[in-house]
Parts: sequence; C-alpha cells; structure tokens
Amino acid sequence: MNDPHGDAVAATFTASHDDARDDAALLRRIGQGDEDAMAAFYREHGRVVLAQVQLVTGERVLAEEIVQDTMLAVWRGAGSFRGESSVRSWVIAIARRQTRDRLRSRRLRVVDDAFLADQPGSGPGPEVMALDRAELAEVMAAIRELASPHREVLGLVFGSGLSLPEAAGVLEIPVGTVKSRLTAARSALSRMLNEKGQNR
Amino acid sequence: MNTGPADTRSPHLDLEDLIAEVTGQPVNGRARAHLARCEHCRAEANRWDLVASGVRGLAAATPEAAPPAPARPTRLRVGPRRRTVLAAAAAALVVLGGAGYWATTALTRHAPSTVFTAVSGCAGLELAHGTLERVNGSLVIKTASGQPVTVTTTPSTKVSVAGALRSDITDGASVIALGPRSGGTIAAASVTVGLPPGPSSGPGALKVTPPPGWGVARGTVADAGTGGFTVVTSGGTRVPVTTSGGTSVVVPRASLGQLQASVATVAVGHAGPHRTLSAVLILQQPPGPLQVHIHVTTRGCSPASLADALATAFSGG
Repeated sequence: MNDPHGDAVAATFTASHDDARDDAALLRRIGQGDEDAMAAFYREHGRVVLAQVQLVTGERVLAEEIVQDTMLAVWRGAGSFRGESSVRSWVIAIARRQTRDRLRSRRLRVVDDAFLADQPGSGPGPEVMALDRAELAEVMAAIRELASPHREVLGLVFGSGLSLPEAAGVLEIPVGTVKSRLTAARSALSRMLNEKGQNR
Repeated sequence: MNTGPADTRSPHLDLEDLIAEVTGQPVNGRARAHLARCEHCRAEANRWDLVASGVRGLAAATPEAAPPAPARPTRLRVGPRRRTVLAAAAAALVVLGGAGYWATTALTRHAPSTVFTAVSGCAGLELAHGTLERVNGSLVIKTASGQPVTVTTTPSTKVSVAGALRSDITDGASVIALGPRSGGTIAAASVTVGLPPGPSSGPGALKVTPPPGWGVARGTVADAGTGGFTVVTSGGTRVPVTTSGGTSVVVPRASLGQLQASVATVAVGHAGPHRTLSAVLILQQPPGPLQVHIHVTTRGCSPASLADALATAFSGG
C-alpha cells in the first residue's frame, strides 16, 4: 500500500518464459498447427521481441509489423527449430533478420556505424561522472538516441535477457565483439549524458 | 575475473562478471568477494545497473502489442496488414514500481506449461506461482502445470502474508485499517499489521488514498477483541474499527512460519537447477475480493537494488 509515486521506474514483470523444454514443446505443437500453442508462444515472447525491435527501429508501427512477420515466420518455421539455441534467442534472431530486411527495403542501413560500435571503449573518463550523476529518465532518453547497433546490443543483453554468448549468436559476431560493443555503447551513452549535462 | 599469478591484466572484474551481477545471473564466489571489497568494481556495477535499468524502463514502456492474427497465416497476408486482436490474456503479470504489486493476474493468467515466469524487466529473476505445500520441511510451490518448484530461502528473504488473520491484530501492534467509515467507525476491509510507526504526514508518511466513503486509520491497536479494536493514532485520537470474516489482514513482514499450506503463493527469486528457486520475496494471499497492492520502486534489478527497494517498501518508508 505504499504510495507508488517516485521517480524510480520500473522493472516490469511481463512476458512469461518457460524453461527450455517447455518452449521446445510449444514449438513442436506450433509445428503441428496448434493455434493455442501459437497464442501461448506469443504471450511468452511477443512483448520482449516487440521491445527489442522497437528499440532498434525506433518506430512503433514498423516494430509491430516486424513482430507480426516474425510470428508468421515462427508459425511457418517452428519445425525447423533444432534446439541449438534457446527459443528466446532463436525468435529474436528471426526478428532481427526481419528488421534488417525491412530496413534494407526502405534503403535505410543500420550497420553504417558498425565501425564506431565495435571500437573499444576508452575506459573511465570524465564522461563516466555524467553516468554517475544521471537520473534514470535521462538515461532512458539517451538510450533512444544511441546508434542502432548500440541500442540493439543493450536491448539483447539487458532487455531480452540473453547471455553474452546468446547475444553473440543473434548478432552473428564473436563474444568479444559483443563485449566491446557493450562497452562502446556505454561510452557513447556517457558522452551523450555529459554533453546534455553541460548544456543545461 | 582477471586475477591469477601470471595474469597481468586488470585486477578488477571483467565485463562478463559485471553483466552477470547486473542481470542477476550466477556470479562465482571469488567475483562476489571481489565486488564486496572493491569500490571501483561496485561503481562499475552501479553504472551498468543504471544502463540496464534504462533499457528495462524503455521495454516496460512498450505497450502490449496486438497479438498476431489467428493461426491461419495466409489470412495475415490478405489485403493491408491486419492487427487482429486475439482474446489472449495480457502478458503483464506483476509490476515493480508505479503499479500494483500483487499477482492476481499471475495466478490466473499463464501458459499451462509454465513453471517459472521470467521478469523481463529484471533478467535473472523468475517468478513461480501456485499452491504452497510443505514437503519434508521444505517449501514447495505446486504450479498450475502440476510441476513442483522447491523454494529455498535466506535470512534476507522477504515474506508477506494476507488473509483472515485476525489473531495477528493484538494490543500494541502498529496497524493501518482501511474500510467504509460510518459514524466515526471503520468497518475494516483490510488491516495491515506490523508496519513501524511513522509520520502521518510529510516526508516518509505512508500515503493511503481511500475510496470515497472509506476511512483510514493508522496507529496502535488497543482493546483488541473478536469483533474489532481501537486504533490510537499518533495524535491520541481513538478510532473504533470493526472486523469481520471478510477483513483481509496483511502482514507485510511475516515470518516463514506464517506461511500456510494450500494457499496461493508467489515467490520471486533466482532459479536454480532442478526446479529450485532461491527466493527474494514470497507473497501469500488467498483469492478474495480485496487484493493487496504493495508498490515497490526500484532503480535496478541487482540483488542489492531489489533488497533496498523491498526493504523500503516493507518498512513503509
């Protein structure tokens, strides 16, 4: 009964997540044309996939369409799941391919800044102080302005809850590159917060 | 962790350890010990925690998507893109921060095969819900799928129980009574027992907004009896309160011994092997018309952040 007002936001307990065996069983049922299983799969993973896609694209409507396409691909391709990864990382990888295709068709490229994204962070610097001072709302706003590869890797690890090796699998890059991209993302975030702080 | 006799790299935790700490994944004892004594690494963990919280905050702000059209996939491709809404249950289960915290929906809306429910805002945290059983002295939640989850606890595990626990209302207890008010008497719909005394207004005050026609009284119990009690407020005002079988008594800081078997129970914590859950929090409340909402705000999902948030929430601060 505590008053909920406060500036701290919010871990939201949302989409459910079966253990690997249950997820795999769900996919088997989907492969057999079980509509209830498809609905359950959506409940399990839909929101997480949408959040990840929206984080990358920055567009709600486009993200919804990509999720629709992703779920259609799951419906059609559930039988192809080999259990070599977690179901969560499998469906996010599908969503990532769908996102890439859609953005490519719009002649937008999300990998132009990949070089920047994979540069190692410069280590603690003055901008780190900005991160120490930052409020959560400021961090959320700054994340929205990060380059797509930065948003993507942060979303996979902290939003979708993938391990670093799972994120590497989805991104099709080595684990070491995931680490450097995470570090670069945080550095970019810190710089952004630092600049905003100086402009206030 | 970058340590070892021949290791010339940084003596601090590596990124993988820091990420594991922030996302609630298992961290080895050596890394945990290092974190406890290394201010640099704690600061780094806090920075990553803030970044992670930002991502989770954005994810939490993502509205529920319209579920895909029903399973005939070709229908999705007819004409303009459709966003047909299935009558699927909303996925939102429990919200930490700014929204109700009780798992009514969690208890009723789930995939039949679910054993653990992930906390998408807090990777690494899992939620198990079902009916509590005690098996050889262990706490076991029998989930809707019929599969048991063994719940382990630590001294820091928070336990909250609610129900027809009128015997917990005793003279001297600190309470908040809430219910319809008539002629100065409150017919208690809920009584929260055991919150420490606090200011009735200003900073630190517990804000309770009763519905129209309801009253709230916070203070100390006097004259406790089978039909009610008196709340003596900090200002000395005496507010008569009646109770009935429908009064829901909430004990937000309960002991493990107060958990009852065969009652709907939610446990939040870290999943381990063989369907075990190391609980951070255990909530128990039988179904009823009045569901208790405890609001918790947290800046992050690390064990420390959660512990702080839960401690604050359960202390009424």
